[in-house]
Amino acid sequence: MNIIVQCSFLILLFDLISSNQDAVTCSSTFKLINQQSNDRLHSHDVKYGSGSGQQSVTGTPNADDVNSYWQIDGNDCERGTPIKCDSTVRLIHVTTKKNLHSHNFASPLSHNQEVSAYGEDGAGDEGDQWRVVCTTRNDYWLRKDGIRLQHVATGKYLHITGDTYGRPIHGQKEICCYQYANSQNIWKVDAGVYMRPSTEPLSSTRDDQSNSRPQSSSNTDHFDDEL
Amino acid sequence: MIDVLFLFRRDFYKILNLPRTATLNQIKKNYRKLAKELHPDKNKNDPQAAERFQDLGAAYEALSDPDKRKVYDKHGEDGLKQQGGGDQFHDPFSSFFGDFFHFGGGSRDEGQHHVPRGGDLVVDLYVTLEEVYNGNFIEVVRAKPVAKQTSGSRKCNCRMEMRTTQMGPGRFQMMQEQVCDECPNIKFVTEEKVLEIEVEAGVADGYQIPFLAEGEPHVEGEPGDLKFVIRIQKHARFERKNNDLYTNLTITLQDALNGFDISFPHLDGHNVTIKREKITWPGARIKKKGEGLPQHDQNNIVGDLYVTIDVDFPKGELDNTQREAVKNLLNQESKHRLYNGI
Repeated sequence: MNIIVQCSFLILLFDLISSNQDAVTCSSTFKLINQQSNDRLHSHDVKYGSGSGQQSVTGTPNADDVNSYWQIDGNDCERGTPIKCDSTVRLIHVTTKKNLHSHNFASPLSHNQEVSAYGEDGAGDEGDQWRVVCTTRNDYWLRKDGIRLQHVATGKYLHITGDTYGRPIHGQKEICCYQYANSQNIWKVDAGVYMRPSTEPLSSTRDDQSNSRPQSSSNTDHFDDEL
Repeated sequence: MIDVLFLFRRDFYKILNLPRTATLNQIKKNYRKLAKELHPDKNKNDPQAAERFQDLGAAYEALSDPDKRKVYDKHGEDGLKQQGGGDQFHDPFSSFFGDFFHFGGGSRDEGQHHVPRGGDLVVDLYVTLEEVYNGNFIEVVRAKPVAKQTSGSRKCNCRMEMRTTQMGPGRFQMMQEQVCDECPNIKFVTEEKVLEIEVEAGVADGYQIPFLAEGEPHVEGEPGDLKFVIRIQKHARFERKNNDLYTNLTITLQDALNGFDISFPHLDGHNVTIKREKITWPGARIKKKGEGLPQHDQNNIVGDLYVTIDVDFPKGELDNTQREAVKNLLNQESKHRLYNGI
């Protein structure tokens, strides 16, 4: 019995350690690559000509475009903590500061559900919430693993059908939300800036001439009316 | 026996100007400060600049790794050499400043020639008020696309040129035509490195920290930069205004009348004490000098902490005996005054 307990403990410990290694963490920035089409989730200052008329979100084959970066909103979590599978996140488009968003409009090419970039400088709504659905048995979203992004409000998955735009965004693919989970809605992170969990307790880097703080005595406290 | 090992006995703590008890953050801070000063590009007239800069890098490599530091503390540099692997020397400079070596030169454009640049990546860096109060180093992993040559070729340096074609005797036509060169084909590979971001004590919201050449690549030019923008998260207890801090303290009615002696922890854990003998009214404000934030460019100038007091009145109703006691205690006439408070 003892050996089983020891082994379980070691497995648990190993799981805890490896779950933190190279996990996608709170407020990390990254590109998302669709595992079927190899396009990157992308947005830009181009509005849809139909549907909601909001800023469009597309899939781009280019690997060197700064408009393909998305950041996990760091206001709701502690910087550097690994994102747990099945938790919800907001993804902010780094260059335009709008949120990855979906809603009840038809996408322009496949007539699935439209995905747009929405919100002014952080302000948004429930249509910005996405659930991280893992495809492996890990507890956390690891950088090497594919995941699905499920739109919380409608239950549909961030998806590429393969439909391609013409001018003025020639060669870019349509991004939509699709009802069923399949191989066209698996995404993996690639290039980015990943926040590491802080391992050390905070230790000061201040330039203090003297290390001692001013001794606070009540003589030096000023009350507003006594000045 | 010639003491060949004498060459390897550098005092890494002395090189970094630190005591042997220095914390990891202090090591990072001093490395960063000294690396800026000692960089060979900044000391072109000093023949020993390159060696001193290398010593600095070696000191940082040894002391910033907890295992290497243990070995060094016990056995000195000899111990590290014996451990082996002392030859793979990564220059830590780019972890703190980015990939671009040109220093003190200012602009990256070489005068007339306009070198095409990749996009700048500007990322929000969320920090806590504790980090602003104390200063901190934040480690991140930058995974960036890097251009690598592969087989085949691609069109490059495309430009519009005027082509003149002869249509007949004496008749020419000028047309615009796109002309490209042939270059080796490029694919992008993602490479990783660790960056050390220094959050200096007292830094302001919106402050930008650049890492040169760590942005997006450009196939026919230089990479853009990576810039972090400080975003200070709202704190549960303190509010910042420039170098001053503001907080609200709720006390009981009894303490308000009888006086009190209260302590609470500051952003680095040290205790702040407020001792009061006299009566305290709701809205009273106390200034604790020197308990604010350090000034960003001069840490020994510190702002003040303003504590605004509010009084927590007991709920419910007093019985007659208590009412008598209050009347005797306070002995106030029931006069009142009406006024416009807005």
